[in-house]
Amino acid sequence: MAWQSPNGLVHAMHSIRRAAQLRPFLQRSVISASPISSPFTPTGLRQRMSARGFTTELQPVAAPEVDLAEFPVKPARIIPVSAAYFSGSPKFIDHLLRLEALLAKYASLPTVSPSDAPRMAWFKLLQFRDVVGEPVPTKKYKALLKLLQRLNRIDPTVAPEEVRSALGLFLRPGNPFGVKPAPATVDDKGRARGKGKRKASSAVVHLVEGEGEVLVNGKTLNEVFPRLHDRESAVWALRCTSRLDKYNVWATVQGGGVTGQAEAITLAVARALLVHEPALKPILRKAGVITVDARRVERKKPGHVKSRKMPTWVKR
Amino acid sequence: MIVRQLCVRQSRQLRALPRQSRILARFSSTETTFQTPVQTTFAEPESQSETPSPYIPVPEPVRTEANQNLDKGLARKIQFHSLGSDVVGAYLPKSLLNYPPKAADVTLEMLLANQTHLGHSTSRWNPQNSRYIFGIREGVHIISLDQTAAYLRRAAKIVEEVAYRGGLILFAGTRKGQKRIVVKAAELAQGYHIFERWIPGSLTNGEQILGHCEKKIVNGLDEEVKIWEEELAEYHALKPDLVVCLNPIENVVLLHECGLNNVPTIGIIDTDADPTRVTYPIPANDDSLRAVTLIAGVLGRAGQAGQERRLQEAREGRVTYPWMKSLRVTAEEGDASGVMPSETTTEPARKSRTAREDDD
Repeated sequence: MAWQSPNGLVHAMHSIRRAAQLRPFLQRSVISASPISSPFTPTGLRQRMSARGFTTELQPVAAPEVDLAEFPVKPARIIPVSAAYFSGSPKFIDHLLRLEALLAKYASLPTVSPSDAPRMAWFKLLQFRDVVGEPVPTKKYKALLKLLQRLNRIDPTVAPEEVRSALGLFLRPGNPFGVKPAPATVDDKGRARGKGKRKASSAVVHLVEGEGEVLVNGKTLNEVFPRLHDRESAVWALRCTSRLDKYNVWATVQGGGVTGQAEAITLAVARALLVHEPALKPILRKAGVITVDARRVERKKPGHVKSRKMPTWVKR
Repeated sequence: MIVRQLCVRQSRQLRALPRQSRILARFSSTETTFQTPVQTTFAEPESQSETPSPYIPVPEPVRTEANQNLDKGLARKIQFHSLGSDVVGAYLPKSLLNYPPKAADVTLEMLLANQTHLGHSTSRWNPQNSRYIFGIREGVHIISLDQTAAYLRRAAKIVEEVAYRGGLILFAGTRKGQKRIVVKAAELAQGYHIFERWIPGSLTNGEQILGHCEKKIVNGLDEEVKIWEEELAEYHALKPDLVVCLNPIENVVLLHECGLNNVPTIGIIDTDADPTRVTYPIPANDDSLRAVTLIAGVLGRAGQAGQERRLQEAREGRVTYPWMKSLRVTAEEGDASGVMPSETTTEPARKSRTAREDDD
């Protein structure tokens, strides 16, 4: 140490005085203040320094106490929100893991058959992608849907609230299966209305109680359908329930050919009859008149002669 | 004992036996011919077979309302619960998964029981692993378990210290069946997990791949602090501070990216893997789920210990890592500890600057 010899002491004092001019700077940096605070400083010098009055500024001040009130609001580091951050689709994976954990927890609960489980409108893939904001592949979403369906099969009487709320997160807003059309009724003039379609034809039928008169587009059945088979099939719903002479049929049919029109009327009559007598449903079902035939003409494709027929192969 | 009596009784006949046959037998059989001092006690099967076992009535299941709807397996379990013997010391996959041992409690017996010693067929070896290999048995390399234990303990120490310093630890195991292992280890160590494919470029092109994933700012106690939200949204994608890879052979891309980004890696190195791909290899069997469960569990436990130590320090008002810098760009230069919200830092800093100018 330089200031342990008398000459050095003078030098040291000079250097201290010089340093005192840089007071604000010294206050900020701890390192430059450290030689003064070293334990080798003679006590006599220390007293003299205190008499001169710069000791208090030069002595290193201990760090302030920990402000525990400040600690909780002081930002310390940045971390991901989800543990699946590095997978690229953290929200989806969090959902998946949560559902798997739920299933593992409640695996032993009794289940009902899929047809008895409450009908749920899960998010479509595109909607789900919008909700989580991640590019979820189709295959992975299908795996998630399987999990949801399995959880939904837990017997509704014992299903825990935890499961129900978890499933609720995946439902489309507004229950699409909850909106049902009002049941059709007979209007004030005693008419029941039914609509039917077959091939390219569509029919609207008004059914009133009467003596068995049938009018199709204002004409009698014989005029419209020269073929017996068509006449039979048009009123088959009434014939198979032996109600031919109890109702009057007033039908409007358009589009398509004769067979299509006749069978469109069949469906419309059956539906209108169900409005009058709902109890007839099993018989009509068995007779096959309330089953919609959804087949339509298959479109023609380019390169084909018809929808599927290929041109004949010619050698050259 | 029975053995001794047998020897005494048969000794005359034994002496009469030709001596040569015993010497030959020594070479032809794999059994040890010398006598071991351990005395085995034999149970007497005759007495048990003679006396008929007492009839134990099967308890009738209690028919209550609640019992009616029980799961069939559960009902059977209740019914037969009082019968049979208790199996102890058996391997329970769930207990190894859920209650993994600490690194200090890992024994060579445990490693052996969990199949960590089984390597690959000798033809598939990587000669760089020769120092981890104990020998060959039936054409399969056997990994030296004392090496495994030592490297496992070192890796556990690394995980613990990184967790203590608030680092992000990523557990990656993309093989079939490793999902639960990885998730559990990450949960213990409060780390992060990958159990599906590592998306190439997640580190080198993080902005594109992880840009939309959410981040948060936390205080020393890991509670969210809601400041600088706009700046945080634009903040660059995060990178892990340590990657634990359970199947390095399939994750070459991940390890390559870690190497490019100076992210240290821990990997389970089987005899066919390249040990230089990871920073801290653990020579062990990576094909057995049981072995992987043990190793990942030990590392997860270590991470848990580190996190607990870190949070303990935080509760006493210390953080074990440098404070984050302010995300809000201000005119002044960055302070070494520059963490304070901008409003509080600007005033004293401006004062000191003016004071310095006055002195000059």
